[in-house]
Amino acid sequence: MSPGILVMFEDEPALVGALERLRSISLHELRTYTPKPLEIEPPRSPLPVIVLVAGLLGAAVGFAMQVYANTASYPLDIGGRPESSWPAFIPITFELGVLAAVLAGVFGYFVINRMPRLYDRIDELESIREASRDGWLVAVRTDDPERLAQARAIVEELRPISIEELPE
Amino acid sequence: MSEMSVIASRGATAPTVGSMTDDISAITLHWRRPLWWLLTIAATGLLTSVLVVAIGWLFYAGIGIWGIDWPVVWGFAIISYVWWIAIASGGTFISALFYLLQVEWRTSLNRVAETMTLFAAVCAGIYPILHLGRPWLFYWLFPYPSTMGIWPQFRSPLLWDFFAILTYVISSILFWYLGLVPDLATLRDRATTRRQQVFYGVLALGFRGEDRQWRHYRAAYGVLAAIMAPLVISVHSIVGLDFAGAATVGWHSTQFPPFFVFGALLSGFAMVLLLVVPLRRLLRLESYITQRHLDVLSRLMLMSSLLVGYAYIMDVFSVFYSSEHVERVSFMAKIHGDYAPIYWATIVLNIAIPQLLWLRRARVNELLIVLVSLGIIVGMWCERYTIVVMSVRRSHLPSAWGNYHGTFWDWATLWGTVGLFLTGMLLAVRYIPIVSMFEMRSLLQKRRTPPGDSP
Repeated sequence: MSPGILVMFEDEPALVGALERLRSISLHELRTYTPKPLEIEPPRSPLPVIVLVAGLLGAAVGFAMQVYANTASYPLDIGGRPESSWPAFIPITFELGVLAAVLAGVFGYFVINRMPRLYDRIDELESIREASRDGWLVAVRTDDPERLAQARAIVEELRPISIEELPE
Repeated sequence: MSEMSVIASRGATAPTVGSMTDDISAITLHWRRPLWWLLTIAATGLLTSVLVVAIGWLFYAGIGIWGIDWPVVWGFAIISYVWWIAIASGGTFISALFYLLQVEWRTSLNRVAETMTLFAAVCAGIYPILHLGRPWLFYWLFPYPSTMGIWPQFRSPLLWDFFAILTYVISSILFWYLGLVPDLATLRDRATTRRQQVFYGVLALGFRGEDRQWRHYRAAYGVLAAIMAPLVISVHSIVGLDFAGAATVGWHSTQFPPFFVFGALLSGFAMVLLLVVPLRRLLRLESYITQRHLDVLSRLMLMSSLLVGYAYIMDVFSVFYSSEHVERVSFMAKIHGDYAPIYWATIVLNIAIPQLLWLRRARVNELLIVLVSLGIIVGMWCERYTIVVMSVRRSHLPSAWGNYHGTFWDWATLWGTVGLFLTGMLLAVRYIPIVSMFEMRSLLQKRRTPPGDSP
């Protein structure tokens, strides 16, 4: 991995300010570590679409299963009522759709983030532990030593709590 | 309600993002072995072992140890099942529905509510399986490819219920766990002993608060909340349909699904209050779960009590509006027959007493809130007793009338699940952060910097 620094700020506005400055020198290899989602980040994610598709698929499969069971596999004539009595199939269709959607949402979340990832080299640093309390961190990585020096100068100006070297 | 009023402003001692995190994680990480906890868990552990014995004896001796017989074939198992699943549903209402409505005061309550949902749903889930009579054949409910070439009856509300409960239990566990992951990461980072580090480290799955972890998190959590809210309504409506679907006196009514959802709201709010009032004192959470929360929850409980009251009135109305003779006979037996005290206890505990909550003085009196909530929890059980037992006691044919009493083993199973539920809650209090820390951070930050307003 490319070399870089991990910088911790005191609060969210300080981190957001630093991000803007760093992006202005077209440094985009920025990764933040924060105790809560940053307000500026739009929640762009494919997950809602994945959940929707999974839900619809689950519902479709659930409905198809009931129709198949009642018409093709084991038709049961109850007083001449229609075999494919779809209204009676709706509750199970709904529940199976929900089940598929929830499974896709939760496990999709873990897959997208490559979780579980119990160890990461960044864990060796002291300040990363504050990211789950009240520390607002950004990791800057770049192969260009000049740009890294520039980034270091920018963040130093913003009086961070700490600056640490990232393990390569 | 604005976020300003949610947390009592206490000047210099008002919690900050950092101090709140330390406070809440210290409960778990620096557990002080309080005496109340040891005593209660000893008692609830004992009750849980009663459950184990009761189930073991049931499996050995068969369902004859219960009081059910013709004509009352649905007894304690179904009463308690409906009772527990209603309590569970209330927790999901608080966590999912109020999340969607962006009700900020929910933040400090949702972990308690979701945990309550989890254990109540587990308690509920035990009953239908026990009630099967041949519980080892429960997998027949699954549509699996069997050598017999047959399928479960997809048109039956009882099978709908199986799917609903299965989905609900799985979804509640996953939703709860997803909501817990950032807080488990906090505990991992604060942990002082190796055992704690490994325990919380594994459970946190490597959540580090990365930008992309949060980005997807917000998306996933929002969508799942949007699914959980209709799910819980569907689950309890289907429980209502278990009854309404049968052409049985007193059950065959279109009002059952919403009536059951109202009952779920009422018992859910009551159980949350019953848990939160002592917990906030015992764990010193007064600055996070405030008097204001109790006040709002009490109002919601009053509102749901009125909704349930409306359903009771409609119950009477539909009996006398329809000209079904047998419905009237059954209803009259309900209000002044052998079991009339249970019906009237329902009315008093669920409708009459909660009216005290109109008074502000009552809503800030913690002892009173606990008593009213406890009354509602008992009242809701009585309501289910009335629904389940009364109807089948007085069916169409007087020659088929009968009676019903719970046996020792019925009561043992009921109290056993109470023990299981409370044991689960006590363990949760011990091992997981009982207030959602990462959501509290957003709330606290907003409170400290009100937009366009100086403090």
